[in-house]
Amino acid sequence: MSEYQKPLPTPTELTQPFWDGVREEKLLVQKCSGCGTLRHIPKPWCANCLSDDYTWSQLSGKGEVYSYTIMHRAPATSFQTEIPYAVALVELEEGVRMISNLVGVPIEDVKIGMPVKVVYEHVNDEAALFKFAPA
Amino acid sequence: MSDALKKVAIVGVYESAQARRLNRTPEDLYKEIVLGALNDAGLTIKDVDGVVGGNPLLNEGEGRGMPGSVFAEYFGTELRYSGQALTATQAPALGILHAMEAVATGRASTVLVAMAAATPGFGVAGGDSGQSVSGDQWLSPFGLARVGYYGMFAHRHMHEYGTTPEQLARVAVNHRKHALLNPNAIMHDRGPITVSDVLGSRMIYDPLHLLDCSPVNEGGGAIIVTTEERARSLKHPAIRVLGFAECYSAVDIFHLPSITAFDGNGGQSGRDAFAMAGVTPNDIDVAQISDHFSISPIIELEDLGFCKKGEGGAFVESGAVELGGKMPINTNGGYLSHSHAGSPGIFDIIELVRQLRGEAGERQVPNARIGLHHGVGATYISAQTAILARD
Repeated sequence: MSEYQKPLPTPTELTQPFWDGVREEKLLVQKCSGCGTLRHIPKPWCANCLSDDYTWSQLSGKGEVYSYTIMHRAPATSFQTEIPYAVALVELEEGVRMISNLVGVPIEDVKIGMPVKVVYEHVNDEAALFKFAPA
Repeated sequence: MSDALKKVAIVGVYESAQARRLNRTPEDLYKEIVLGALNDAGLTIKDVDGVVGGNPLLNEGEGRGMPGSVFAEYFGTELRYSGQALTATQAPALGILHAMEAVATGRASTVLVAMAAATPGFGVAGGDSGQSVSGDQWLSPFGLARVGYYGMFAHRHMHEYGTTPEQLARVAVNHRKHALLNPNAIMHDRGPITVSDVLGSRMIYDPLHLLDCSPVNEGGGAIIVTTEERARSLKHPAIRVLGFAECYSAVDIFHLPSITAFDGNGGQSGRDAFAMAGVTPNDIDVAQISDHFSISPIIELEDLGFCKKGEGGAFVESGAVELGGKMPINTNGGYLSHSHAGSPGIFDIIELVRQLRGEAGERQVPNARIGLHHGVGATYISAQTAILARD
């Protein structure tokens, strides 16, 4: 495949399991062992009960668009050929929210509340991205 | 009003020319605003014993260090106080508070708060690299600049409350109208704009069009705070801070229960500032509220209680926030049409001081006695409210 030009995730020790999960086509979030609260983006402790203990929990990948914008101005030159494209704040059915691109839908059809499901893009041998498409 | 704040007054303000490019060095601009604010107050450099805020002298060869040390060396003086230097929009408002606290507690007698931006680069607000403040990995792979959050705030507000693109556009139209009355506004000579002009300008971060977005430009401003005792012998009427409050909610929008509010869930900083000042929204004669993008004032007017939640768009459309309306806002033209240089909150405070002194010329709100500044950020989600009054 041709070389992927856009920015790739730069995981930290804390976030590595999330991105490893994406490569394996799993959407993982931290689940607090103290109170059960799910959290994204990863944090070293739970903001609800302050417990340091957690496990990684797999989400269904189903959710809906909570809000969105259509980017008509590229934030980096590597996105210049993509504009206009949709970026959504998606509320997963388990309650956490994630930001990613909406794919497989014309930008004029993007609506708040539309059901979406996670899809994966293996952009090169090492990295994969999670995106959302109409469910 | 807190007892501590009673001992302090704003006595000098100064604003440089604002332009897309000033073609001058940050140091030169900084010197102009420092001396300009002192001249306005009737004070000299030897009276200054404290500074707050970003100092461009630090950025040129001095690295990051103590702003007070650099100031002292360049201006041949000695300081007793050096306040925190922040770079956010709202930093100057917070800077005023730090300055007032320093004066109220006797740590300094006369404190300068200054902001100068004359670094190259201009365009539409938000030409950043798409980095999330929580880390590069959550936004940049998806091509979202943080300013795109404002598009998300706007779409959600439209969804929940029926706010329209026309109502968003009306914010930009109003602020341009005000800028035409302010000779120092960057859009002063650009003529009026209509709702159709805004909606017809190219889309940037849907639903925000080019004219819904602030420009990026250059300029500076400075404010002098001193003791109430000293203020009595100076030439301008003292301007007091009756109330000041802050609210911090989250770093990024992932964690917010609602993205149709900046000021907590229920207008916390506004409520606290009104309580400290002992006034209500009905007592405010003029307000300066941050308008990086046209959606922001609509949400802020609601957060502050000038209208009910969800009615910000209709409130703007009613003409209430224009000069001559019951709650004129951003009489200098706002970030949208006056200046979005550096940390533009400084211009909000300067405009309020001028309105409260009765120096606002063609854009003067008649008999303005109490003014309000509200600043927000959608990354490092926070809000600050300051209520100012003339003695």
